[in-house]
Amino acid sequence: MIYLESLGIKFAVATRETNPNFMNGVPELLILRLLQQGEMYGYEIVQEIRSRTGSVVAVGEGVVYPVLHVLEREGALASKRRTVGGRSRIYYVVTPLGTRRLTVLSETWNQLAAAIQRLLKGGNLGDATRFSS
Amino acid sequence: MATPLDSLRERLLRAGVAPRHVRRYLTELADHLSDLRAEEEHAGRSKADAESAALVRLGRIDDLSRAMICQRQFQSWCARAPWAMFTVAPLLALAAAYFVACLILWSGWRILLPGSDTPFVPVDGLAVYYFGLGRMIYYVTPVAIGWGICLLAARQRSKAAWPACGLILTALVAGTARVHAGRPAGFGGIGRVGMSFELGPSLPAVAGSLSHVAAVLLLIGLPWLAWRIQRAGSLSA
Repeated sequence: MIYLESLGIKFAVATRETNPNFMNGVPELLILRLLQQGEMYGYEIVQEIRSRTGSVVAVGEGVVYPVLHVLEREGALASKRRTVGGRSRIYYVVTPLGTRRLTVLSETWNQLAAAIQRLLKGGNLGDATRFSS
Repeated sequence: MATPLDSLRERLLRAGVAPRHVRRYLTELADHLSDLRAEEEHAGRSKADAESAALVRLGRIDDLSRAMICQRQFQSWCARAPWAMFTVAPLLALAAAYFVACLILWSGWRILLPGSDTPFVPVDGLAVYYFGLGRMIYYVTPVAIGWGICLLAARQRSKAAWPACGLILTALVAGTARVHAGRPAGFGGIGRVGMSFELGPSLPAVAGSLSHVAAVLLLIGLPWLAWRIQRAGSLSA
């Protein structure tokens, strides 16, 4: 949570204590997924995250830019300045490297989500019992 | 009046974030703020309410600055290695400039004054411009390097210690530099040009060198000193 909050990303659900590494990569995952569908600028990205997550993931809007800049620096995104409606904006687009990174992050996230779902639904309790005994 | 983005700029620069990253971040934040303001106004808020709502949505200055500062890759070299940027790099640049100046002196001596025992003689025609170029590099480079240190320190809001070291070293080197040229016997008749860095053999010479060092230091350090005084005044106001 410390990691996410340093990036200004807060979850609407109440969380008391979280492993910071537990949610690592979520901002990158969301941004790469959105930009895979087309180029966007920062404001659009934030509004899309808000609308598509039903405001569950509420990004402190300005802090999306350091994440974008890091991804660009690492080669996962490319940016270009374009003038639209008389305003100059920096648009971001996913690179092939970013697409590969999205695949890895998606797989990791799906595995994590599936494991948590199994746990919440009470599956594999036998294993848990075996571990604790 | 300072805007929230102005105070964010100061905070980022003081934390060592490179100016180009700060500039880009603030440009995008300003655009974002403008979009938020328009959205809030479109939703029926007054101009003042829209402005404050937009600022809240953009994020607190603490969060905005922390998000950037925690990314070490955005730190400037002046923050990562100030000793290199403010002392080693200027001295290397000064050494390179002195080398070029000596090369010009030596080549001009060989080509334009082949019969002369020393290049330090009155010249005319093309030689005036050729030797003038070398002289200009010799005298102007320390000042340019010193002002470069000042500019870098001011842009990055650097603490005083390393820039001051750089300025003092530059002034010491520039103030004590001496160029020698001679045609030693038994050296095939080829003239030699060299440099030494010394205060002088006698007390008056030492005093002269020190006053030269002080004059160079004053010349190169004055802009930075003026900037710091002006900045301290504006911050206290």
